[in-house]
Amino acid sequence: MHGVKRRQWSRELLKQKRIEDEKKIKQYRSLVDTVLNLKETQIYTKDSLKLSKEVLQWNPEFNTVWNFRRDIIENVKGQLDVTFWEDELNFTMAELKKFPKVYWIWNHRVWVLKNHIDSSLKIWQRELIIVNKLLDMDARNFHGWHYRRRIIKVIEDRTGKSNDHEELELTTQKINKNISNFSAWHQRVQLITRMNDTDEFENRKEFITNEIDYITNAMFTDAEDQSVWFYMEWFLEYEMVSKVLNHNEYTTILNKFQSNILIINEDDKEFSGKENPWCLKMLIIIEKLQTNLGIEIKDGKSKEWIAKLIEADPLRKNRYLYLLHEEK
Amino acid sequence: MPMEFLKEKHIEYIKSLDAKQGDLEYWLSEHLRLNGVYWGLTALCILDAKDTFKKEDIVNFVLSCWVKSTGGFSPFPRHDAHLLTTLSGIQILSIYNSLDALTEEQIEKCVEFIKKNQLEDGSFQGDRFGEVDTRFIYTALSSLSILGRLTPEIVDPAVDYILKCYNFDGGFGLSPGSESHAAQAFTCLGALAVVGKVNKLSKSQIDKIGWWLCERQLPEGGLNGRPSKLPDVCYSWWVLSSLAIINKLNWIDYKKLRHFILSSQDTKRGGISDRPDNEVDVFHTLFGITGLSLMGFENLNPIDPVYCMPCEVTSKFKKYPY
Ligand SMILES: [Zn+2]
Repeated sequence: MHGVKRRQWSRELLKQKRIEDEKKIKQYRSLVDTVLNLKETQIYTKDSLKLSKEVLQWNPEFNTVWNFRRDIIENVKGQLDVTFWEDELNFTMAELKKFPKVYWIWNHRVWVLKNHIDSSLKIWQRELIIVNKLLDMDARNFHGWHYRRRIIKVIEDRTGKSNDHEELELTTQKINKNISNFSAWHQRVQLITRMNDTDEFENRKEFITNEIDYITNAMFTDAEDQSVWFYMEWFLEYEMVSKVLNHNEYTTILNKFQSNILIINEDDKEFSGKENPWCLKMLIIIEKLQTNLGIEIKDGKSKEWIAKLIEADPLRKNRYLYLLHEEK
Repeated sequence: MPMEFLKEKHIEYIKSLDAKQGDLEYWLSEHLRLNGVYWGLTALCILDAKDTFKKEDIVNFVLSCWVKSTGGFSPFPRHDAHLLTTLSGIQILSIYNSLDALTEEQIEKCVEFIKKNQLEDGSFQGDRFGEVDTRFIYTALSSLSILGRLTPEIVDPAVDYILKCYNFDGGFGLSPGSESHAAQAFTCLGALAVVGKVNKLSKSQIDKIGWWLCERQLPEGGLNGRPSKLPDVCYSWWVLSSLAIINKLNWIDYKKLRHFILSSQDTKRGGISDRPDNEVDVFHTLFGITGLSLMGFENLNPIDPVYCMPCEVTSKFKKYPY
């Protein structure tokens, strides 16, 4: 079980648990039996609604009961007022706080929003604020990020307006809070790609220049974390960057990254006596980009860096041997 | 203390699972029962102890999970069918060479159930409520493959959709635009492999996938599912099977991973947990064991990285395109 500490059950403890469980099992099984009977006989009433909720409070992963609950709602929709829909949202939120990784709850919540009696945009905009709070609690919850993208999609479809600028700002905030938040870096890539594709940048060059400063800053802040490096690699290889910058500008940028990374690696060596594997990996990539640009490299160092990686990062030795082979 | 693989204890542990009806947890996990039987049975096969379960009982249980109204399998009698459990049902019957326990009509309905859940864009929803996830493409294609019922009409759009889930970092997400996650690498690469389309990925993509996957290994030896996350035994499967599919299995350190898996064993009662000193479960027990099998340790029976079933079973599958 994910993240549950192992317990050593003594005979005494186990006996006690069995006694306690016996009563609960009876209660739970009889409740489940009642609800499944209602489901099989298609009794869609407010009473069924109440009982299905009870089962889900015992067991939020019981997807069949979530299904039954939606079928009931569909059938008694006419009798349900706004209070019901708001209660349903509160119910799923209470469950999500306890079980933030249960897919069924997230899906039920989207379904509730889509069927909410108040079909105004307001409901979805409020949801965005709520998902912000959830991401504050766990900034890496990929259910939360996925959910956020779904909400944004609905809002954008309804308003016909892109939220990309605001969303990009959100990723900046999240990254500033924690530079290792790869979920935010990932989202940044999605947004920039889309903003470029749909021509949303007022000034691409200015954006690129700022972004380079941003990455450089991040690199110096935490050179151990792979998030920044994955992002840097993507950015340097991204076609918008190599297209908007002219040959000279692009070459200068690559050189600058190269020298900064060398500085970081030297600092690390001085501090810990070891090479920084991520610096070495990125140096190899930059040299490849330089070669692809047709820049003549007098004394290519990639092989040397790969050899150092075999020492500095032995877990992935076989990948480096492969790269060495590819270098030929 | 020398680290040993506790084969007999794991067999005992899996055997004990059905005797836990006095625990509330047993009843609270009904919705995972059919998957659980598949996890346990597959682990037993890899441990060369297939006979630990009584075939007849298991086959009957699987048949009792078939849902007449929809044609798919549910996790437990009276529950609803879902693609996730439909694959488990088919896998169990296939391991027992008992697909013929289903009537022609049942198989037809089951194939219909799977096909009906494919959406316009090639993706699959898990059931009629519309949740879309690459996990369901995998379960759908794998199920149809085992039944020998793949067609280009199903496969081609599904493949297109999977390729859209490939990310800049070399990983795959649960839908286009979603963050890379190691479990999704398996479902996407596994689905491509099931239909013989891994070659839709370019060499540079494959190299990058291999890179992202091998970066999942942490200094303590275990693998994580995303950058900056804790290691977890189940990723021994999701990551290793993916590496195996792209022929880069040895891009991680076997010895260290083995050590991590073995230190997650419950030395008293058997079973494997997500990480050392956590509560064991049959899911992590299976994926610890299959990870060890892929690396060739402990004299285990070979596991097929594409189907997560014993090679002995999958070697008989008809390969698509037929
Ligand atoms: Zn796990």
